[in-house]
Amino acid sequence: MFFRMIRGTFLRQWKKLLMIALTVALGASIATAMLNVMLDVGDKINEELKTYGSNITVVPQSEAVMNKLYDVENDEAVTEYIAEEKLGELLTIFWANNITDFAPVTDTTVTLNGGDEVTLVGSWFDHHLEFTKKGTTYQRDTGIINLRSWWDVTSGKMLDEQKQSGDGYAMVGSELAAQHNISAGDKITVKGEKGSEQLVVTGIYESGDDEDKYIYTTLSAAQRLTGSTGYFKKAEVSAITSPDDELAVRAAKDPSLLSGDEYDLWYCTAYVSSICFQIQEAIPEANASAVRQIADSEGKILEKTELLMTLISIMSLIGATLGISNLVTSGVMERSQELALLKAVGATNGQITRLVLTEILSAAIVGAAAGFFMGYAFAQIIGRTVFDSAVEMSGMVAFIVAVLIIAVTLFGSIPAVRMLLRLRPSEVLHGGH
Amino acid sequence: MSLLELKDVSKVYGELHALEKANLKVDKGEWIAIMGPSGSGKSTMMNIIGCMDRPSSGQVIFDGRDITKESRKKLTEFHRDKIGLVFQQFHLINYLNAVENVMVAQYYHSMPDEKEALEALERVGLKDRARHLPSQLSGGEQQRVCIARALINSPELILADEPTGNLDEANENIVLDIFRQLHKEGTSLIVVTHDPEVGEVAQRIVRLDHGKIISDKKNESFSEGE
Repeated sequence: MFFRMIRGTFLRQWKKLLMIALTVALGASIATAMLNVMLDVGDKINEELKTYGSNITVVPQSEAVMNKLYDVENDEAVTEYIAEEKLGELLTIFWANNITDFAPVTDTTVTLNGGDEVTLVGSWFDHHLEFTKKGTTYQRDTGIINLRSWWDVTSGKMLDEQKQSGDGYAMVGSELAAQHNISAGDKITVKGEKGSEQLVVTGIYESGDDEDKYIYTTLSAAQRLTGSTGYFKKAEVSAITSPDDELAVRAAKDPSLLSGDEYDLWYCTAYVSSICFQIQEAIPEANASAVRQIADSEGKILEKTELLMTLISIMSLIGATLGISNLVTSGVMERSQELALLKAVGATNGQITRLVLTEILSAAIVGAAAGFFMGYAFAQIIGRTVFDSAVEMSGMVAFIVAVLIIAVTLFGSIPAVRMLLRLRPSEVLHGGH
Repeated sequence: MSLLELKDVSKVYGELHALEKANLKVDKGEWIAIMGPSGSGKSTMMNIIGCMDRPSSGQVIFDGRDITKESRKKLTEFHRDKIGLVFQQFHLINYLNAVENVMVAQYYHSMPDEKEALEALERVGLKDRARHLPSQLSGGEQQRVCIARALINSPELILADEPTGNLDEANENIVLDIFRQLHKEGTSLIVVTHDPEVGEVAQRIVRLDHGKIISDKKNESFSEGE
């Protein structure tokens, strides 16, 4: 009987129930889209910021001490090095999979073609790294090709370590190339403190910063010029990290001050500080530190984006609640005679409330299901438009949206239920006195 | 034996005294017509007897039980078990067919039983119209469905509010014949009406005016076989 009555309402009041379903669908779709994007936005912003370069710098311990003491960077007086072979240790740390790219860097001042002094940087371009530790071999193609994704190669092509045999190649910054009339395919001679090299220019790049005045070559060429074969001055590391929170801030100051549980949580979370800590564990002679501007930007952007999305979700759910409230109340008013009759034939307030709520919740469930898939589609549109990648569907979002929709529907039904409880068959069915 | 007793029952709506110190005794199996002009307090009395309203003062004793002191839930249960209601406007649920409308009362009383519901419709001569929606039934047929719904839980009292108010003469006679039959079977009936023809067929006539019972007489012309 109960379901016959529900079915009857669906057939008779289908327009009203459809409106309830649509209202819920709208609220659910916005909440789903926002929650899906919110849960994925950390990684998306991370990926976005990774295109702006590395977020961790690895330098020798002694250089780090000097930098801290005198607040200087690239101090030419400090010429400590790290062994190149140690860099493979980065592939063995707990968060190795979060390290997307890394490259050793050795910079020096050289004389170009016997004339001006210019900065030359040696690094890996698309280096194939193989590292064996405790019988396990780790492999990775890495280098500054990805760490300098914003470089615009204006002529020639990017240096390709794996295709161009030997290491007598270089990329020249556009400003320097213009000053010295250097074109792709030209040969240049550079003279460092420990020797000279003849390099073939494979391409001219435009970076938009000081690097437009530099020469970039292979690490081995730079090592020969500086007499540091097998070593490098610093490494740039790009890692996907979790935004800093209070725990990360405390840990960054001194991890030893954390309690055991806090330490485990911090160590097993991809905070930039815990990744730096693990790099130092793997390479004890190195000091790894975060490039703060990027880590901080990430945290702030994420915080503001999440706040905005939370506000949009809350507003949409408030809108849905008000819409449901209006629709359900007008539905109960329209059906006041029928509901009063049910009371007159012996239905209790609880039985009538159950009947009405079942009808509304059934419509809301249909709307929520449609809204969930619509919201997932919206999330994909946002992902594609803003981040140029898909947004992953989270099972947790389905659960949260289901709970929110039930709460919104029940909350929106409160005025109607109160009206229903106050409904007096004597007034509705008979009228006067 | 008394089924229902109203003792000094009053109902006040603000300044309006809808019912004033009404005293009434209804015996089991009795058929009473409550008559009076509009605003005389007929519907108020019916609502109080039907447990759909509470008196401002006085007592309502039903089957030896003072129902004025019962909680709302108990009152609903009591009314569900003891009283069958018949309305002037029928108040059928328009998306349920005739038998389903009867089964609604069963559902909220105990368990829906289609066979019993069909038997109730048969009693009012509507078994062949059981699958019709209210919109497919005439006014008289709708009122008979309403009576079948009131009968389905075997109530001790049928309370009818202007049961023939919306019916033509032919249908009025059909409904009154059903009431006669119910009375013969021992069902107690209280019919609220302002129609003298409907009042005249009852066993006893109670007249109300301005909320007061102005007369309470046996109907000398009452005949079981009529």
